[in-house]
Amino acid sequence: MPNPTLPPYTELHAHSAYSFHDGTSLPDELVAAAVESGHGALALTDHDNLSGAMEFAQAAKGMGLRAIHGAEVTLDDGRHTTLLVESAQGWRNLCRIITIAHKDTRNGRPGAPAKPPRLSIHDLLSHAEGLVCLTGCADHGVHDEATARTLLEGFGPDHLRVEVQRPMHQGDRERNDALARLAARLGVPTVATGNVHSHDRTRVPLQDAFVAIALGRSLDACEPERRGNGSHALTTPDRMAQRFSEMPEAVAQSCELAERLRFDLTCDLGYRHPREGDGDAVRELAEVCGAAFDGRYGDSTPGLRQEAKARLEEELGVIDGLGLSGFFLLHRDMLELAREVAAEVRGPDTVRSVLPPGRGRGSSVSSIVCYLTGLSHIDPVAGKLCLGRFLNDDITSVPDIDLDFPRDIREKLIPRVHQRYGEDRTALVAMFPTYRARSAIRNLGAALGLPAAEIERVARSSEGWSGKSVGRDIETALGPGAAANPRWQWLVRLAGEAHGLPRHISQHPGGMIVATEPLIDCCPVIPSAMTGRRIVQWDKDSCADAGFLKIDLLGLGMLSAVERCVELISRTRGERVDLSRIPLDDPATFKAIRAAETTGVFQIESRAQMSSLLRTQPQTLDDITIQVAIVRPGPIQGGAVNPYIERRRRRLADPNAEIEYMHPSLEPVLKETLGTIIFQDQVLEVATAFAGFTAGEAEGLRRAMSRKRSSAAVEAHRERFIEGALRLNGADEELSSRVFEMIRGFSGFGFPKAHSAAFGLLAYQSTWLRVHHPAEFLCSLLDEQPMGFYPPDSLVHEAQRRGVTVLPVDINMSRVECTVEGGAVRLGFGRVKGVGKECAAAIVSARETEGLWANTADLAARSGAAGTSLQALAWSGACDSLSGSRRAALWDLGVTAMAEMGDAGTQLALPLAVESPVLPELGEWGRAMADYATTGVAIEGNPIRIIRPRLPRRAVRSADLPTIRHGSQTTLAGLVVARQRPSTAGGILFLLLEDETGTINAVVKPKVYEKHRLLIRSEPLLLIDGTLERPAAAGGGISILVKAVASLGHSLEGKATVRDLFEADQRERDASQPLAAADAPDDQEIVLQPLPRASSGRRGR
Amino acid sequence: MNTGGQKPRAGGGGLHRLAEPAPVEVGVDGAGSPEQVAGRKVIAIRESWLVEDRWWTSEPIRRHYWEVVDERGAVCVVFRQPGNRWLVHR
Repeated sequence: MPNPTLPPYTELHAHSAYSFHDGTSLPDELVAAAVESGHGALALTDHDNLSGAMEFAQAAKGMGLRAIHGAEVTLDDGRHTTLLVESAQGWRNLCRIITIAHKDTRNGRPGAPAKPPRLSIHDLLSHAEGLVCLTGCADHGVHDEATARTLLEGFGPDHLRVEVQRPMHQGDRERNDALARLAARLGVPTVATGNVHSHDRTRVPLQDAFVAIALGRSLDACEPERRGNGSHALTTPDRMAQRFSEMPEAVAQSCELAERLRFDLTCDLGYRHPREGDGDAVRELAEVCGAAFDGRYGDSTPGLRQEAKARLEEELGVIDGLGLSGFFLLHRDMLELAREVAAEVRGPDTVRSVLPPGRGRGSSVSSIVCYLTGLSHIDPVAGKLCLGRFLNDDITSVPDIDLDFPRDIREKLIPRVHQRYGEDRTALVAMFPTYRARSAIRNLGAALGLPAAEIERVARSSEGWSGKSVGRDIETALGPGAAANPRWQWLVRLAGEAHGLPRHISQHPGGMIVATEPLIDCCPVIPSAMTGRRIVQWDKDSCADAGFLKIDLLGLGMLSAVERCVELISRTRGERVDLSRIPLDDPATFKAIRAAETTGVFQIESRAQMSSLLRTQPQTLDDITIQVAIVRPGPIQGGAVNPYIERRRRRLADPNAEIEYMHPSLEPVLKETLGTIIFQDQVLEVATAFAGFTAGEAEGLRRAMSRKRSSAAVEAHRERFIEGALRLNGADEELSSRVFEMIRGFSGFGFPKAHSAAFGLLAYQSTWLRVHHPAEFLCSLLDEQPMGFYPPDSLVHEAQRRGVTVLPVDINMSRVECTVEGGAVRLGFGRVKGVGKECAAAIVSARETEGLWANTADLAARSGAAGTSLQALAWSGACDSLSGSRRAALWDLGVTAMAEMGDAGTQLALPLAVESPVLPELGEWGRAMADYATTGVAIEGNPIRIIRPRLPRRAVRSADLPTIRHGSQTTLAGLVVARQRPSTAGGILFLLLEDETGTINAVVKPKVYEKHRLLIRSEPLLLIDGTLERPAAAGGGISILVKAVASLGHSLEGKATVRDLFEADQRERDASQPLAAADAPDDQEIVLQPLPRASSGRRGR
Repeated sequence: MNTGGQKPRAGGGGLHRLAEPAPVEVGVDGAGSPEQVAGRKVIAIRESWLVEDRWWTSEPIRRHYWEVVDERGAVCVVFRQPGNRWLVHR
């Protein structure tokens, strides 16, 4: 007799959005809906993965629902079976099954899409223990007796159930009758499942759209594959029992089976830290640190040495208490492996060879054990770095150690880690790119059959983040009427629902899990898109919940750039620069930093950083440490930035100026940041000093503030904080609340001080290189793109303004990468789009072995390069030295029969005896456009210089701004370098424009932005009109508060958006029409209009 | 198929829909299942299914179908559309 107090049905087959385009709800949405509708337990059975399992387990535990784990796996022949976990052994087997199913998904050609996971029955049956097998869904399940009997032999009658579903399709009864007969013949029960794909009926249209997206078709074109109705939405147990009213035994079986499935992922995972409980590890770590101590502190003052000794003992004690000695030794071992890899990558006789293989970042830099084992390069004792954020007695999860490597070393290190520790014991952490506005507009718009050109227009005008504001994006791009169209309305709704749902699995930038037991017993491990890499199916939050040890092996472009730079300096000047020994108080370097001349350097180069540098005027490396941390959401939202800058300026004017603190207990912890919270560890220190939190409690508060899944958890700490402040400091509730709010304001992303110190040092070192070796520095930046805030074009123009000569690509002079040639930077072939690395290397090699290219025919004959690559080189100007001009070079290539590879060998290029016509020279504008289309760098300077004569007379240059009064109405033209609309800026958009004399900061307030949004978002050249602002507090910084915006690109026939190599000519001719500005009042939009033609010319072509 | 509001003439050529559903009177029980179709008692429901589609167009489809056996032993398919409109297929 069923118990009337229990739900009559348990859902044992549900997909979340982690089934990637075959499920529309996040695990926590499914959990909440299940609880709401009266379910006591729920099974999550995503397709061939367990990506959502930990998130599901945590959400279910929090909401009192019993989580059952499983997956719907795909067999070799495309049929599905549903596997449910009964025990810890079952979980291990399921992880192994999914790992096996994915093992060949990436063995196609590099870059090809992943093949679908597939599993043989043999592999399934070899891992049957601890699992219950259901025969699968209505459309793709195992419905034939022969296969069902094979499953029965493998799983046994207690662990096989014939799955019946009621998707409300015609034919359900016939199929289920047949399945019931099959079950009877096999002697096993049937079990009813719902094949849930949405937590609520409102998501049913999104499921249809996802099916269309997965198939790459429109909704109209995928009717057979869609589910056809909304019966796949989660519903109440009673309704499900009613739906299966003719199969009550199958309904009852769902509950009986659920009762048996008691595996709890939150506590039964069975993961152990490497060398956990290994007493030798404690001694070994102490020995390693002791051996390194004298080397690091031998020359230090006795005081520092003593302090370091005490700190080491304290840390080793904490590490021993937490059983983490093996963890540190493992990381040290990995660093030693990195050292081997670095030696191979760098070679023995290079300047780089003396450098450590990588650098620490993040909170681990505060650890003396990390410093002594080589995992960090910053002395935490001298730098007064607080340990609590990284390690404390009350720690509830394992700490993170982050290491930065140059990209080339990291690329080789990751596969080497897999080899060293075993492919089944190592994997990169996963991440799941989610639907945002642009991806939602493009994918869902195509599924809805909306016009492709309009979809693209809407996507480009979107700010790209929130899928919940697509309605506004549509209005901006297509006008107010468009959003009323029903299909566009559906796009608005679906994009809002899809926002935040995972699209596919990807790899985290560097998080690596290493285990001493097979990792594939804890979570499936699958091949990454990048050859030789493997990823675990959990993201960093799930890995943290599982207690996995994670080491971040991160690629840092600037580290690559500075290593490249010192190597280049050694080659070109014979100077060996050791960045660890450069003076840390170089006046020229600090002068550049204080003048915000930091384009291209690490961290302190952005528009916001530059404007801040002018105000804070850093004098020391400690100041730069603060500077690196200040332009972050944490300090900005916490309201720390302006008070810090104001107090800093007060202190600069008067070193004895009083600094106010909210409470005297805060002075020791906030002194260096002048009473404000700039560093993440100050949150911990404030909680400890003001409210008496232990280090573990304070770290719990910080974690609650930073984790995406626990926004409500912060509130739980509030009460404890206020009580603690009263008890410890006698602070009243009003003051305690204000201090708590200051902390909570910081809940966005912020840097720990240790991380800022590591980054600050690299910021200083890169500025030093920029100041003392500008050509080599530019060269290195160009070769390490993409990186940093500025595109290569802006980096080159800024360097040119500082007197660095930049030479164009030249077929007889350039190498694959950029080079320094007599103090000037020569662009390399690698910068030319359409010329592959191998092709560029072949051109250089043939030139070096067989001599310079005599002419284009010689180039075509000997280089073996494809015609399209040679045309790209010709259009970039690389062949000007052979043919005289780009057009002539193209002509010459055009009349040369290209070399062709055939079975019988290479057919040499044959120049045809055709006389070249006299071709007109490409104009300045044409050359600039050809540059953008090929190298991406307008080498003759910013194109505004060319159109300057056509601009309104009142348009000034950026170099003129210092002579214009604060508050004056100002008009400027510029190429858009960056558009930023940070969420912390109250809707203000910051534009960085560049003209031929420099860059201009423009501030666009929401009202003006909304009026000109499409223009601002999509046009490369803008004419802005606004008020010049140069407040005294800005330290000389100038910006334009924009009132009106007009497009220059539009009036110039879109020349600046040239994307096709050979269209620039026509655009150049079209744009040669004279232009004049229609003078507009200052508060109106400025319009540039072509003048009527003097003669009819080619109009009507 | 849109026939422009005019029925094609029998034997007149051209395309026309076969077995076009026709409005029918249906009595339902408490759960909304048919009890009577065109005045005849339903003695068995052989199957029911749902079609919910084309929601993105101006003509969305939402039909709940029942395949029933009436008191004469005849099988027919009826469906309910929004607005409680019932039609019969055959």
